[in-house]
Amino acid sequence: MMELGPIGTALLLGIFVLFAGCYGLLYAIARLKERSTWMNAAYACYALQVVVTLLIVALTPLTLGWQLLVIVSCLAYFKLPAIAWSHLELTHSKAEVP
Amino acid sequence: MYKSQQVALKYFAAAIVLFGIMVVAGLLAATQYVHNGFLLNQLDFSITKILHIDTMILWLLMGFMGSIYWFLPGELNRETEGIKLAEIMFYILCGAIAIVALVFIVVQYGGANEFSMWFINQGRKYVEAPRWAAIGIVLVVAVFCYNIIATTIKAKKVTGIMGVLIVDLLPLFALYLIAFASITNMSEDLFWWWWLVHLWVEGTWEVLIGCIMAFSLMQLLGTERRIVETWLYIEVALVLGTGILGLGHHYFWIGTPGYWLAIGGLFSALEPLPLLGMVVHAVYDAGTHRMKTTNKPALYWMMAEAFGNFLGGGVFGFMMTLPQINLFSHGTQWTVSHGHFAFWGAYACGILSVIYLALQKAREIAEVNGGRWKWGFALLNLGMVGMVGALLISGIAQAFYERAIGGSTLQAFIEGQSNMWFVQGINARLIFGVMFALGYGVLVYDLLTLGKRKAVQPALLRPA
Repeated sequence: MMELGPIGTALLLGIFVLFAGCYGLLYAIARLKERSTWMNAAYACYALQVVVTLLIVALTPLTLGWQLLVIVSCLAYFKLPAIAWSHLELTHSKAEVP
Repeated sequence: MYKSQQVALKYFAAAIVLFGIMVVAGLLAATQYVHNGFLLNQLDFSITKILHIDTMILWLLMGFMGSIYWFLPGELNRETEGIKLAEIMFYILCGAIAIVALVFIVVQYGGANEFSMWFINQGRKYVEAPRWAAIGIVLVVAVFCYNIIATTIKAKKVTGIMGVLIVDLLPLFALYLIAFASITNMSEDLFWWWWLVHLWVEGTWEVLIGCIMAFSLMQLLGTERRIVETWLYIEVALVLGTGILGLGHHYFWIGTPGYWLAIGGLFSALEPLPLLGMVVHAVYDAGTHRMKTTNKPALYWMMAEAFGNFLGGGVFGFMMTLPQINLFSHGTQWTVSHGHFAFWGAYACGILSVIYLALQKAREIAEVNGGRWKWGFALLNLGMVGMVGALLISGIAQAFYERAIGGSTLQAFIEGQSNMWFVQGINARLIFGVMFALGYGVLVYDLLTLGKRKAVQPALLRPA
């Protein structure tokens, strides 16, 4: 299978985080607007992030340890917006109680 | 208005002036990349680069100090202790900066002796200020620390934000002392020097801007103290948890033990996570207030801070932080691209937000809005995005042709510099740099005239 060089690897890593950002942004907008369209767009971004993760694992010269780091990061990026959002709601709802 | 807030406005004015000098020096340096002979032997690239970087550090530092002097009296409901001293130090600092800048421009360099170190250039990257001026900076920071701690003690009140701020002051002061070391072993010298550069920027400054943003959120959106303090603790813990050992990514290829490759790569890879949390937080805050505020530019600059930090620090940083990539990208225009974007997002946007907030209060403006700030905002941000995109292209070309193919020889360096992609990227950077400078001009005009322009009467807008 074709192996990417450092430039291709770097670009994939950048796109990996960019999709994470898009997912987080769209997730937050979806929760704010309570619209499923935004949430679907968010999940589509996350799906693309998973695809990029697979490409990083399959095509880049990163060794097993770094590949695992990318995979674990990908999982963390999935949960992070939801955790952040629920904590935001929690702190704000507590603040509203007199 | 408290005296402390009057001093803060002076700090903001000086910060904006230094921001301008940074832009001019940056444009000169960018022009020297395009026309190599430009100002040769008059104002060489080595000098314009020093001016560009050092004024960047100083304007941000002045912005931070101004922000704290602005928010402190309101937080503790009393005048800042020793504010007269702070004002004196402000003038001393401005005078010292002017003298050092003149020496850099007129004298430029000296022999490899003690005199040069004390009076011309200390010779250490980013902390080039001669030793006498470096001692001055230490005194200014010491007075700044005294102002905050003494005011808190007198007020007999330590809020959560103040607690975090005070804990942050010790490393802010102590780390700068590394600027004075004279270590002859280059690896050892760089090892400690990065403590100053990285731990200031990705440690103490991150905490400082976190505290400043916490104050801003309470003032701008009326967010409750308990909420901002909870999030300040979480975000500071996450940023420091990943950022302190993220220091390791600077230890690649400088003669440090190999385990730094793993430590630096691992913790740097985790650094985008808290930045993503900040993006979610920004959307929540702006969304729940439906972007409604009496100070639109402050809100937009605050949002730009969250997004810019994520893109510049997170995306651009992660691209080049793993050692396998960093072997090729380290020290190329790729690094420059990441540095510009990260500094802009993490700090500059936040300080501009606070300046708008402060001016609204100082000039008693009911609502800050209008069209001019939007032009400044758009030109500055598009100029920055264009510059970092162009530098990324140049950096990738450099990493590929000079490092990967050429093997980092001098010949490869020269060929890399004349590569078409590199040259086009450098040209484009200058064009976007001019756009950024125009944005700076609009920003300054807007700040100067904010609240002083006559409101247009609706009747005048109606057709006759």
